[in-house]
Amino acid sequence: MIRYEVIVIGAGPAGLSAAIEAAAHGLQVLVFDENAKPGGQLFKQIHKFFGSKEHQARERGFRIGEKLLAEALGLGVKVILGAQVIGIFAHRQVTVMQGDHMEYYVGNSIIIATGATENVISFSGWTLPGVIGAGAAQTMMNIHGLRPGKKVLMVGSGNVGVVVGYQLIQAGCQIAAVIDGAPHIGGYGVHAAKIARMGVPFYLSHTILQAHGTKSVSGATIVEVDSFWQPVPGSEKNLDVDVICLAVGLSPLAELPRLAGCRMQDNPLKGGLVPVCNQYNETTVKDIYMAGDAAGIEEASSAMIQGRITGNAIAHQHGYIENTEFDQCHTKYQGALNQLRAGMFKRDSRKETGLRYTQEGYTLSKTLLTKGFLSTSELSVFPGIPTEVRRRQGVTPIIECTQNIPCNPCQDVCPKGCIKIGDKITNLPVMSASSCLGCGLCVASCPGQAIFLVDETYEDQFAAVTIPYELVPLPGEGSKGVACDRAGIPLGEAEVIHIRTTAYNDGTALLTMKVPIEWAMEARFFKPDHIGEGG
Amino acid sequence: MKECVIRRTAAKEPFMAKLEDSMIVCRCEEITKGEIRQAVYDGMMTMNEVKRYLRTGMGLCQGQSCSRKVRDIIAEEMSVPRETIEISSARNPIRPVPMSIYANDKACKRR
Repeated sequence: MIRYEVIVIGAGPAGLSAAIEAAAHGLQVLVFDENAKPGGQLFKQIHKFFGSKEHQARERGFRIGEKLLAEALGLGVKVILGAQVIGIFAHRQVTVMQGDHMEYYVGNSIIIATGATENVISFSGWTLPGVIGAGAAQTMMNIHGLRPGKKVLMVGSGNVGVVVGYQLIQAGCQIAAVIDGAPHIGGYGVHAAKIARMGVPFYLSHTILQAHGTKSVSGATIVEVDSFWQPVPGSEKNLDVDVICLAVGLSPLAELPRLAGCRMQDNPLKGGLVPVCNQYNETTVKDIYMAGDAAGIEEASSAMIQGRITGNAIAHQHGYIENTEFDQCHTKYQGALNQLRAGMFKRDSRKETGLRYTQEGYTLSKTLLTKGFLSTSELSVFPGIPTEVRRRQGVTPIIECTQNIPCNPCQDVCPKGCIKIGDKITNLPVMSASSCLGCGLCVASCPGQAIFLVDETYEDQFAAVTIPYELVPLPGEGSKGVACDRAGIPLGEAEVIHIRTTAYNDGTALLTMKVPIEWAMEARFFKPDHIGEGG
Repeated sequence: MKECVIRRTAAKEPFMAKLEDSMIVCRCEEITKGEIRQAVYDGMMTMNEVKRYLRTGMGLCQGQSCSRKVRDIIAEEMSVPRETIEISSARNPIRPVPMSIYANDKACKRR
């Protein structure tokens, strides 16, 4: 029996953060993970994260993972990989399968950070190869460098569905459609808009009826559902796809706290059966703590803060920090967590607002909620959209950020302070000054890729539109292609006049295209002429 | 085996087959929706009972994929809200363990 002060089960964002926090205060920490690599889901996350500086916003997930791991190892945290915790017994004994044998450990405190598992839905043909979870698609693409297929039906329009949809396009797949049983897109509008402008159609109030194929998926039938979730006869559509990707939610992996005798609650808002925890993430069993999705589904940034809260509480419990420092840290972390939990997408606010108005009172875009893009007519009222008069004076950012989500890197990166969000990070960004340099830092740092630069003074009758671009191969300067509008509908020919890539922008190129001036407020995507099968 | 099970509630009506009965719900153990519906008809009223009757959730993934679906089917068949159907119990080991590991276990050998 090997004893550690703290045993952490799961080396994902929550587990590593908890380990770091505890080790930084001087505790001796051991972390188990059943995978061959630590970092959990972070290493599959190639997109830039939302939030503010303290949440490491505008960093790509896998880079946050690398930092966490280095920090943990630097603090002397011991991480054992390929180690499956198979049981937890009285007095915090943990049985671990390591390779070909069992090892037995005991922790003075245990942190359970086992994360979540993907939900599946069953339909005729759902066991065919080619029906995969969105997480599996990410593992194939972003860990193993494999393309899951050629043409994908994405089931589920939450953030996972739309973000993985975008990554599938980056990997060279086509998305035939994103469907969702709900009448509104579940994820952030800005994530949906990224793929809508690449031509991906959204079918809301639709469900999958059947996967076709004998040896693997060769097609899918989707059908519209009425408000009672019953299929509408005659509304079936057949899609030619070879992959059906399921992004229909997550369930907490909470068997270990159940086995440890923690009181559980079945809470739909938390994704299912989770242990009852106090504000420091301690379960009803003394010295058994939780962190991250295993205690309730949120997202990686929240999981990291939850880990900090847990680690801080354990350091205090063991007498490694004084009351004042503990309280200060806890208040700081709780504040950061509350910021992420604010906004119109928080767990329970959708019913309150009915998804009709922003917190500032602007009417939300209906087309964004149902089709994934903003219509030009809805756009002009938002505070990030400069007036026609301002646009005629030269280059300006167009901030197409119209929903209250917790995010503010645009405010932080602007060297001229043109963009104001304020202390409440769910506020919509406001264009407040006219001294734009055209540097494009805001364009590349917006995790929602919702900021564009428009210069209507570029040439007589022509405007320059700068968009964030993350597809390969990167078109060369002078190359021709097609400018598409927010719905992905081709407007006509455009020429790439400038490409900017910098280390700071971390893979997000700034592509400036020359378009006729009447498309200045329409053209939001560039499709190179030479584009291959991937689209 | 099924004949040996005493019906907990007298069936008022014969079992009605449904179109999607042939659909597999528990992939690891290859159990169909029809079998689960039949189990409920036969008197299995909780997830644990269905599990012991059919082996749903006892395969490689230990119910990670199917347990929600099984719960929904039981709830639907019994016409009760899904929350009233208790989730099946968790047991050590929570991951499949090869018997060779237990056979060679230091802690066991000492005894």
